[in-house]
Amino acid sequence: MNILITGNKIIPPINFCPVEHQLYRSGQPSPLNFPFLSTLNLKCIVWLSNEDPEDSFLEYCDLNNITIQFSAINPDFGEDDNPWDGLNEKSIASALNTLLDKRNYPLLVCCGMGRHRTGTVIGCLRRIMNWNLASCSEEYRRFTGSRGGRILVELLIEGFNKNSIQYNEELLPDFIKNSIKK
Amino acid sequence: MEQSTQDLCLDLRCGNITNKQFIKGLLSTYNVKSLHDLKPILERDNSEVYTILENVLLQSEEPVLNNEDLQDDEVNCDEDLDDKYNAAEHKLRNLDILSQNVFYPPENFAHVIGNIYRSSFPRTENISFFKQHLKLKSILVLLSDDYPEELLNLYKKHDIKLFTCAIQGNKEPFINIQDETVNKALRIILNPENHPILIHCNKGKHRTGTIVGCIRKLQNWSLTMIFDEYRRFAFPKARGLDQQCIEMFNSNEIEQYALQRKWLPLNW
Repeated sequence: MNILITGNKIIPPINFCPVEHQLYRSGQPSPLNFPFLSTLNLKCIVWLSNEDPEDSFLEYCDLNNITIQFSAINPDFGEDDNPWDGLNEKSIASALNTLLDKRNYPLLVCCGMGRHRTGTVIGCLRRIMNWNLASCSEEYRRFTGSRGGRILVELLIEGFNKNSIQYNEELLPDFIKNSIKK
Repeated sequence: MEQSTQDLCLDLRCGNITNKQFIKGLLSTYNVKSLHDLKPILERDNSEVYTILENVLLQSEEPVLNNEDLQDDEVNCDEDLDDKYNAAEHKLRNLDILSQNVFYPPENFAHVIGNIYRSSFPRTENISFFKQHLKLKSILVLLSDDYPEELLNLYKKHDIKLFTCAIQGNKEPFINIQDETVNKALRIILNPENHPILIHCNKGKHRTGTIVGCIRKLQNWSLTMIFDEYRRFAFPKARGLDQQCIEMFNSNEIEQYALQRKWLPLNW
Protein backbone atom coordinates (compact mmCIF):
# COMPACT_ATOMS: atom_id res chain seq x y z
CA MET A 1 0.00 0.00 0.00
CA ASN A 2 1.25 3.46 -0.81
CA ILE A 3 1.96 5.29 2.39
CA LEU A 4 2.85 8.45 0.52
CA ILE A 5 -0.79 9.16 -0.18
CA THR A 6 -1.25 10.31 3.37
CA GLY A 7 1.57 12.81 3.39
CA ASN A 8 2.90 13.36 6.89
CA LYS A 9 -0.35 12.40 8.59
CA ILE A 10 -0.38 9.61 11.08
CA ILE A 11 -3.00 6.91 10.78
CA PRO A 12 -4.40 5.04 13.77
CA PRO A 13 -5.65 1.49 13.10
CA ILE A 14 -9.28 0.89 12.27
CA ASN A 15 -11.63 1.17 15.26
CA PHE A 16 -8.79 2.54 17.37
CA CYS A 17 -9.74 4.09 20.70
CA PRO A 18 -8.06 4.65 24.02
CA VAL A 19 -9.83 2.67 26.74
CA GLU A 20 -7.92 3.82 29.79
CA HIS A 21 -4.49 5.22 30.46
CA GLN A 22 -2.05 3.20 28.37
CA LEU A 23 -4.75 0.75 27.39
CA TYR A 24 -5.95 0.85 23.78
CA ARG A 25 -8.23 -1.13 21.50
CA SER A 26 -8.33 -1.50 17.72
CA GLY A 27 -8.68 -3.78 14.72
CA GLN A 28 -5.68 -5.49 13.21
CA PRO A 29 -2.99 -2.86 12.52
CA SER A 30 -1.60 -2.74 9.00
CA PRO A 31 1.79 -1.35 7.93
CA LEU A 32 0.02 2.00 7.40
CA ASN A 33 -0.53 2.19 11.14
CA PHE A 34 2.96 1.27 12.32
CA PRO A 35 4.23 4.86 12.66
CA PHE A 36 1.18 5.59 14.80
CA LEU A 37 1.60 2.46 16.89
CA SER A 38 5.15 3.48 17.64
CA THR A 39 3.87 6.63 19.37
CA LEU A 40 2.07 4.41 21.90
CA ASN A 41 5.29 2.70 23.09
CA LEU A 42 3.43 -0.58 23.39
CA LYS A 43 4.83 -3.30 25.55
CA CYS A 44 2.23 -5.93 24.89
CA ILE A 45 -0.54 -6.72 22.40
CA VAL A 46 -3.41 -9.07 23.18
CA TRP A 47 -4.43 -10.75 19.94
CA LEU A 48 -7.95 -12.19 20.10
CA SER A 49 -8.54 -13.86 16.75
CA ASN A 50 -8.05 -17.58 16.49
CA GLU A 51 -6.23 -17.01 13.24
CA ASP A 52 -2.70 -15.76 13.15
CA PRO A 53 -2.19 -12.06 12.45
CA GLU A 54 -0.48 -10.97 9.25
CA ASP A 55 3.25 -11.52 8.89
CA SER A 56 4.01 -7.81 8.61
CA PHE A 57 2.33 -7.26 11.97
CA LEU A 58 4.25 -10.10 13.61
CA GLU A 59 7.47 -8.71 12.21
CA TYR A 60 6.67 -5.24 13.51
CA CYS A 61 6.09 -6.59 17.01
CA ASP A 62 9.22 -8.64 16.86
CA LEU A 63 11.27 -5.66 15.74
CA ASN A 64 9.89 -3.42 18.48
CA ASN A 65 10.07 -5.92 21.30
CA ILE A 66 6.32 -6.08 21.72
CA THR A 67 5.00 -9.27 23.26
CA ILE A 68 1.94 -10.73 21.55
CA GLN A 69 -0.44 -12.70 23.71
CA PHE A 70 -2.42 -15.12 21.58
CA SER A 71 -5.31 -15.31 23.96
CA ALA A 72 -7.84 -16.92 21.67
CA ILE A 73 -5.76 -19.41 19.74
CA ASN A 74 -6.69 -22.75 21.13
CA PRO A 75 -3.59 -24.93 21.38
CA ASP A 76 -5.60 -28.15 20.97
CA PHE A 77 -7.56 -26.89 17.95
CA GLY A 78 -10.91 -27.81 19.42
CA GLU A 79 -13.80 -28.63 17.13
CA ASP A 80 -15.70 -25.48 17.91
CA ASP A 81 -12.91 -23.15 17.07
CA ASN A 82 -14.17 -21.20 14.10
CA PRO A 83 -13.23 -17.62 13.22
CA TRP A 84 -16.89 -16.64 13.42
CA ASP A 85 -17.41 -18.06 16.90
CA GLY A 86 -17.05 -15.71 19.81
CA LEU A 87 -14.59 -16.02 22.62
CA ASN A 88 -15.07 -18.60 25.34
CA GLU A 89 -14.58 -18.23 29.06
CA LYS A 90 -11.07 -19.57 28.88
CA SER A 91 -9.87 -17.11 26.29
CA ILE A 92 -11.58 -14.19 28.06
CA ALA A 93 -9.87 -15.16 31.30
CA SER A 94 -6.54 -15.48 29.55
CA ALA A 95 -6.87 -12.03 28.01
CA LEU A 96 -8.02 -10.48 31.28
CA ASN A 97 -5.08 -11.93 33.15
CA THR A 98 -2.83 -9.96 30.86
CA LEU A 99 -4.96 -6.83 31.26
CA LEU A 100 -4.91 -7.03 35.04
CA ASP A 101 -1.14 -6.93 35.26
CA LYS A 102 0.36 -3.47 35.06
CA ARG A 103 3.67 -4.90 33.94
CA ASN A 104 2.13 -5.45 30.51
CA TYR A 105 1.25 -1.80 29.92
CA PRO A 106 1.13 0.14 27.59
CA LEU A 107 -1.13 -2.47 26.08
CA LEU A 108 -3.25 -2.86 22.94
CA VAL A 109 -6.20 -5.24 22.69
CA CYS A 110 -7.10 -6.14 19.12
CA CYS A 111 -8.75 -8.64 16.82
CA GLY A 112 -9.46 -8.60 13.10
CA MET A 113 -11.83 -5.63 13.06
CA GLY A 114 -11.74 -4.56 16.69
CA ARG A 115 -15.45 -5.16 17.05
CA HIS A 116 -16.78 -8.27 18.73
CA ARG A 117 -13.86 -10.13 20.29
CA THR A 118 -12.15 -6.95 21.44
CA GLY A 119 -15.54 -5.70 22.59
CA THR A 120 -16.11 -8.85 24.63
CA VAL A 121 -12.85 -8.51 26.54
CA ILE A 122 -13.23 -4.78 27.12
CA GLY A 123 -16.84 -5.36 28.21
CA CYS A 124 -15.72 -7.92 30.79
CA LEU A 125 -12.97 -5.57 31.95
CA ARG A 126 -15.62 -2.90 32.52
CA ARG A 127 -17.60 -5.38 34.58
CA ILE A 128 -14.55 -5.97 36.75
CA MET A 129 -14.32 -2.20 37.05
CA ASN A 130 -17.88 -2.20 38.40
CA TRP A 131 -19.47 -0.45 35.44
CA ASN A 132 -23.20 -0.92 35.09
CA LEU A 133 -24.21 -3.30 32.32
CA ALA A 134 -25.94 -0.70 30.15
CA SER A 135 -22.74 1.31 29.88
CA CYS A 136 -20.73 -1.82 29.01
CA SER A 137 -23.23 -2.64 26.27
CA GLU A 138 -23.29 0.87 24.95
CA GLU A 139 -19.53 0.94 24.67
CA TYR A 140 -19.48 -2.44 22.95
CA ARG A 141 -22.07 -1.34 20.40
CA ARG A 142 -20.24 1.86 19.60
CA PHE A 143 -17.54 -0.19 17.90
CA THR A 144 -19.67 -2.73 16.07
CA GLY A 145 -20.48 -0.69 12.97
CA SER A 146 -23.73 -0.41 11.10
CA ARG A 147 -24.63 -4.07 11.48
CA GLY A 148 -24.94 -3.59 15.18
CA GLY A 149 -23.95 -5.68 18.14
CA ARG A 150 -24.29 -9.40 18.65
CA ILE A 151 -26.63 -10.53 21.36
CA LEU A 152 -24.33 -13.44 22.15
CA VAL A 153 -21.48 -11.07 22.97
CA GLU A 154 -23.70 -9.02 25.24
CA LEU A 155 -24.91 -12.18 26.95
CA LEU A 156 -21.29 -13.18 27.50
CA ILE A 157 -20.57 -9.81 29.08
CA GLU A 158 -23.66 -10.04 31.27
CA GLY A 159 -22.99 -13.63 32.26
CA PHE A 160 -19.33 -12.99 32.95
CA ASN A 161 -18.54 -13.81 36.53
CA LYS A 162 -16.04 -11.25 37.68
CA ASN A 163 -15.23 -13.25 40.78
CA SER A 164 -13.87 -16.03 38.61
CA ILE A 165 -10.85 -13.92 37.73
CA GLN A 166 -7.89 -14.18 40.08
CA TYR A 167 -5.47 -11.32 40.27
CA ASN A 168 -2.63 -10.00 42.30
CA GLU A 169 -3.83 -6.74 43.81
CA GLU A 170 -0.35 -5.27 43.86
CA LEU A 171 -0.01 -5.66 40.12
CA LEU A 172 -3.33 -4.09 39.18
CA PRO A 173 -3.14 -1.02 36.94
CA ASP A 174 -4.13 2.15 38.80
CA PHE A 175 -7.38 2.72 36.92
CA ILE A 176 -8.68 -0.64 38.08
CA LYS A 177 -7.53 -0.06 41.64
CA ASN A 178 -9.48 3.18 41.66
CA SER A 179 -12.65 1.49 40.60
CA ILE A 180 -12.64 -1.61 42.75
CA LYS A 181 -11.54 -0.12 46.01
CA LYS A 182 -14.34 -0.24 48.51
CA MET B 1 -50.41 37.17 2.76
CA GLU B 2 -48.34 37.07 -0.37
CA GLN B 3 -45.92 39.65 1.01
CA SER B 4 -45.28 37.97 4.35
CA THR B 5 -44.71 34.63 2.65
CA GLN B 6 -42.15 36.27 0.40
CA ASP B 7 -40.44 37.76 3.43
CA LEU B 8 -40.28 34.39 5.13
CA CYS B 9 -38.64 32.82 2.10
CA LEU B 10 -36.13 35.64 1.91
CA ASP B 11 -35.33 35.42 5.62
CA LEU B 12 -34.81 31.70 5.31
CA ARG B 13 -32.48 32.10 2.38
CA CYS B 14 -30.45 34.73 4.22
CA GLY B 15 -30.24 32.55 7.29
CA ASN B 16 -32.12 35.05 9.44
CA ILE B 17 -34.53 32.37 10.59
CA THR B 18 -34.23 28.65 11.12
CA ASN B 19 -36.15 25.97 9.28
CA LYS B 20 -38.41 25.61 12.23
CA GLN B 21 -39.16 29.32 12.43
CA PHE B 22 -39.87 29.28 8.71
CA ILE B 23 -42.41 26.50 9.08
CA LYS B 24 -43.97 28.21 12.07
CA GLY B 25 -44.22 31.43 10.07
CA LEU B 26 -45.99 29.67 7.26
CA LEU B 27 -48.41 27.99 9.62
CA SER B 28 -49.44 31.27 11.17
CA THR B 29 -49.61 33.09 7.83
CA TYR B 30 -52.01 30.53 6.47
CA ASN B 31 -53.65 30.11 9.84
CA VAL B 32 -53.51 26.33 9.87
CA LYS B 33 -52.51 23.95 12.63
CA SER B 34 -50.27 21.43 10.94
CA LEU B 35 -48.13 20.74 7.92
CA HIS B 36 -50.75 18.24 6.98
CA ASP B 37 -53.20 21.10 6.38
CA LEU B 38 -50.60 23.50 5.08
CA LYS B 39 -49.14 21.44 2.29
CA PRO B 40 -52.29 21.05 0.15
CA ILE B 41 -52.98 24.79 0.40
CA LEU B 42 -49.49 25.70 -0.71
CA GLU B 43 -49.49 23.11 -3.44
CA ARG B 44 -52.64 24.70 -4.81
CA ASP B 45 -51.86 28.40 -4.30
CA ASN B 46 -48.14 28.88 -4.25
CA SER B 47 -46.06 26.15 -5.84
CA GLU B 48 -42.83 28.11 -5.42
CA VAL B 49 -43.11 28.22 -1.64
CA TYR B 50 -44.33 24.64 -1.68
CA THR B 51 -41.04 23.55 -3.28
CA ILE B 52 -39.03 25.51 -0.72
CA LEU B 53 -41.00 23.91 2.11
CA GLU B 54 -40.41 20.46 0.67
CA ASN B 55 -36.69 21.17 0.59
CA VAL B 56 -36.73 22.37 4.18
CA LEU B 57 -38.51 19.22 5.26
CA LEU B 58 -35.99 17.08 3.43
CA GLN B 59 -33.18 18.79 5.31
CA SER B 60 -34.76 18.23 8.68
CA GLU B 61 -33.63 15.09 10.39
CA GLU B 62 -36.96 14.40 11.93
CA PRO B 63 -40.45 15.00 10.71
CA VAL B 64 -42.13 18.09 12.09
CA LEU B 65 -45.73 17.24 11.66
CA ASN B 66 -47.91 19.28 13.89
CA ASN B 67 -48.08 22.56 15.64
CA GLU B 68 -47.38 21.04 19.03
CA ASP B 69 -43.93 19.98 17.92
CA LEU B 70 -43.28 23.45 16.68
CA GLN B 71 -44.44 25.20 19.78
CA ASP B 72 -42.37 23.38 22.35
CA ASP B 73 -39.57 25.84 22.91
CA GLU B 74 -39.74 29.35 21.57
CA VAL B 75 -36.49 30.37 23.17
CA ASN B 76 -34.30 27.53 22.11
CA CYS B 77 -35.38 27.03 18.56
CA ASP B 78 -31.79 27.22 17.43
CA GLU B 79 -31.05 24.21 19.57
CA ASP B 80 -30.68 20.88 17.93
CA LEU B 81 -33.90 18.99 18.34
CA ASP B 82 -32.16 15.67 18.79
CA ASP B 83 -29.80 17.16 21.35
CA LYS B 84 -32.55 18.32 23.67
CA TYR B 85 -31.66 18.24 27.29
CA ASN B 86 -34.45 17.30 29.59
CA ALA B 87 -34.08 18.84 33.02
CA ALA B 88 -36.64 16.50 34.50
CA GLU B 89 -34.43 13.57 33.61
CA HIS B 90 -31.67 14.95 35.72
CA LYS B 91 -33.44 14.72 39.04
CA LEU B 92 -31.31 13.47 41.80
CA ARG B 93 -31.15 9.72 41.51
CA ASN B 94 -32.12 7.33 44.14
CA LEU B 95 -29.34 7.15 46.70
CA ASP B 96 -29.56 3.39 46.62
CA ILE B 97 -27.96 3.42 43.22
CA LEU B 98 -25.02 5.37 44.48
CA SER B 99 -24.40 3.16 47.47
CA GLN B 100 -23.98 0.02 45.37
CA ASN B 101 -20.40 0.67 44.36
CA VAL B 102 -21.44 0.33 40.74
CA PHE B 103 -20.13 2.97 38.36
CA TYR B 104 -22.39 4.84 36.01
CA PRO B 105 -20.31 6.49 33.31
CA PRO B 106 -22.32 8.92 31.17
CA GLU B 107 -23.48 7.81 27.76
CA ASN B 108 -20.98 8.11 24.94
CA PHE B 109 -18.19 8.33 27.48
CA ALA B 110 -14.65 7.73 26.28
CA HIS B 111 -11.06 8.56 26.92
CA VAL B 112 -9.69 10.97 24.30
CA ILE B 113 -6.02 11.30 25.12
CA GLY B 114 -3.92 11.94 28.20
CA ASN B 115 -6.21 13.38 30.82
CA ILE B 116 -8.94 14.45 28.41
CA TYR B 117 -12.30 12.68 28.37
CA ARG B 118 -15.55 13.09 26.43
CA SER B 119 -19.18 12.26 27.12
CA SER B 120 -22.80 13.27 26.82
CA PHE B 121 -24.50 15.53 29.39
CA PRO B 122 -23.62 14.16 32.82
CA ARG B 123 -26.27 13.13 35.29
CA THR B 124 -26.07 13.14 39.03
CA GLU B 125 -25.40 9.40 39.19
CA ASN B 126 -22.20 9.88 37.20
CA ILE B 127 -20.52 11.92 39.90
CA SER B 128 -19.02 9.01 41.82
CA PHE B 129 -17.52 7.77 38.56
CA PHE B 130 -16.05 11.21 37.88
CA LYS B 131 -14.58 11.56 41.30
CA GLN B 132 -13.43 8.12 42.24
CA HIS B 133 -12.46 6.85 38.84
CA LEU B 134 -11.47 9.83 36.72
CA LYS B 135 -10.55 12.18 39.56
CA LEU B 136 -11.91 15.02 37.42
CA LYS B 137 -10.69 18.51 38.06
CA SER B 138 -12.73 20.33 35.46
CA ILE B 139 -15.57 19.99 33.01
CA LEU B 140 -16.03 21.94 29.80
CA VAL B 141 -19.57 22.30 28.53
CA LEU B 142 -20.06 23.30 24.90
CA LEU B 143 -23.59 24.65 25.34
CA SER B 144 -25.00 27.99 26.33
CA ASP B 145 -28.05 26.69 28.18
CA ASP B 146 -28.48 27.07 31.88
CA TYR B 147 -26.68 24.35 33.73
CA PRO B 148 -28.82 22.24 36.07
CA GLU B 149 -28.58 23.47 39.62
CA GLU B 150 -28.18 20.05 41.22
CA LEU B 151 -25.14 19.31 39.09
CA LEU B 152 -23.60 22.70 39.85
CA ASN B 153 -23.97 21.97 43.53
CA LEU B 154 -22.39 18.56 43.16
CA TYR B 155 -19.46 19.98 41.17
CA LYS B 156 -18.93 22.56 43.86
CA LYS B 157 -19.05 19.95 46.55
CA HIS B 158 -16.51 17.78 44.73
CA ASP B 159 -14.25 20.62 43.64
CA ILE B 160 -14.90 20.30 39.94
CA LYS B 161 -14.48 23.52 38.01
CA LEU B 162 -17.00 24.13 35.25
CA PHE B 163 -15.96 25.96 32.07
CA THR B 164 -18.45 27.08 29.48
CA CYS B 165 -17.63 27.59 25.84
CA ALA B 166 -20.83 27.67 23.84
CA ILE B 167 -20.47 26.58 20.27
CA GLN B 168 -23.25 26.49 17.72
CA GLY B 169 -24.47 23.15 16.47
CA ASN B 170 -23.47 22.66 12.86
CA LYS B 171 -26.95 21.85 11.82
CA GLU B 172 -28.45 24.77 10.01
CA PRO B 173 -26.84 25.99 6.86
CA PHE B 174 -25.18 29.40 7.31
CA ILE B 175 -24.17 28.65 10.86
CA ASN B 176 -20.52 27.87 11.15
CA ILE B 177 -18.37 27.14 14.12
CA GLN B 178 -15.76 29.88 14.08
CA ASP B 179 -12.11 28.96 14.45
CA GLU B 180 -11.88 31.41 17.33
CA THR B 181 -14.59 29.56 19.25
CA VAL B 182 -12.80 26.27 18.73
CA ASN B 183 -9.51 27.88 19.76
CA LYS B 184 -11.11 29.15 22.92
CA ALA B 185 -12.33 25.67 23.78
CA LEU B 186 -8.97 24.14 22.96
CA ARG B 187 -7.11 26.65 25.13
CA ILE B 188 -9.15 25.35 28.06
CA ILE B 189 -8.89 21.70 27.10
CA LEU B 190 -5.17 21.59 26.41
CA ASN B 191 -4.18 23.46 29.56
CA PRO B 192 -2.68 20.86 31.93
CA GLU B 193 -3.83 22.93 34.89
CA ASN B 194 -7.38 21.90 34.10
CA HIS B 195 -6.64 18.19 33.79
CA PRO B 196 -8.26 15.73 34.15
CA ILE B 197 -10.97 17.42 32.11
CA LEU B 198 -14.23 16.14 30.65
CA ILE B 199 -15.71 17.70 27.50
CA HIS B 200 -19.42 17.35 26.99
CA CYS B 201 -22.42 18.70 25.12
CA ASN B 202 -25.83 17.08 25.15
CA LYS B 203 -25.37 13.80 23.39
CA GLY B 204 -21.61 13.84 23.11
CA LYS B 205 -22.04 13.43 19.39
CA HIS B 206 -21.85 16.61 17.39
CA ARG B 207 -20.23 19.47 19.25
CA THR B 208 -18.01 17.23 21.35
CA GLY B 209 -17.20 15.17 18.27
CA THR B 210 -16.20 18.30 16.37
CA ILE B 211 -13.90 19.49 19.14
CA VAL B 212 -12.35 16.05 19.57
CA GLY B 213 -11.79 16.02 15.80
CA CYS B 214 -9.89 19.28 16.15
CA ILE B 215 -7.78 17.75 18.95
CA ARG B 216 -7.00 14.85 16.62
CA LYS B 217 -5.84 17.39 14.04
CA LEU B 218 -3.32 18.66 16.56
CA GLN B 219 -2.12 15.07 16.85
CA ASN B 220 -1.73 15.10 13.08
CA TRP B 221 -4.18 12.26 12.47
CA SER B 222 -5.27 11.66 8.89
CA LEU B 223 -8.69 13.20 8.23
CA THR B 224 -10.15 9.85 7.20
CA MET B 225 -9.48 8.37 10.62
CA ILE B 226 -10.69 11.54 12.35
CA PHE B 227 -13.99 11.27 10.46
CA ASP B 228 -14.17 7.58 11.24
CA GLU B 229 -13.91 8.34 14.94
CA TYR B 230 -16.40 11.21 14.64
CA ARG B 231 -18.92 8.93 12.96
CA ARG B 232 -18.47 6.17 15.50
CA PHE B 233 -19.55 8.50 18.28
CA ALA B 234 -22.21 10.33 16.27
CA PHE B 235 -23.83 7.15 14.91
CA PRO B 236 -26.48 7.13 13.53
CA LYS B 237 -26.63 10.94 13.33
CA ALA B 238 -23.31 11.91 11.80
CA ARG B 239 -23.39 15.35 10.18
CA GLY B 240 -21.46 16.25 7.09
CA LEU B 241 -21.20 19.84 8.29
CA ASP B 242 -19.38 18.84 11.47
CA GLN B 243 -16.88 16.90 9.44
CA GLN B 244 -16.41 19.86 7.10
CA CYS B 245 -15.87 22.06 10.10
CA ILE B 246 -13.13 19.76 11.38
CA GLU B 247 -11.51 19.79 7.97
CA MET B 248 -11.71 23.57 7.57
CA PHE B 249 -10.51 24.32 11.08
CA ASN B 250 -7.19 26.09 10.84
CA SER B 251 -5.08 24.81 13.69
CA ASN B 252 -2.05 27.08 13.19
CA GLU B 253 -2.95 29.63 15.81
CA ILE B 254 -3.76 27.21 18.61
CA GLU B 255 -0.75 25.11 17.66
CA GLN B 256 1.55 28.10 18.13
CA TYR B 257 -0.15 29.01 21.37
CA ALA B 258 0.11 25.47 22.73
CA LEU B 259 3.65 24.86 21.55
CA GLN B 260 4.85 27.99 23.30
CA ARG B 261 3.44 26.62 26.51
CA LYS B 262 4.77 23.13 25.88
CA TRP B 263 1.24 21.68 25.86
CA LEU B 264 1.99 19.91 22.62
CA PRO B 265 2.65 17.22 21.61
CA LEU B 266 -0.12 15.59 23.56
CA ASN B 267 0.90 12.47 25.41
CA TRP B 268 -1.18 9.33 25.70
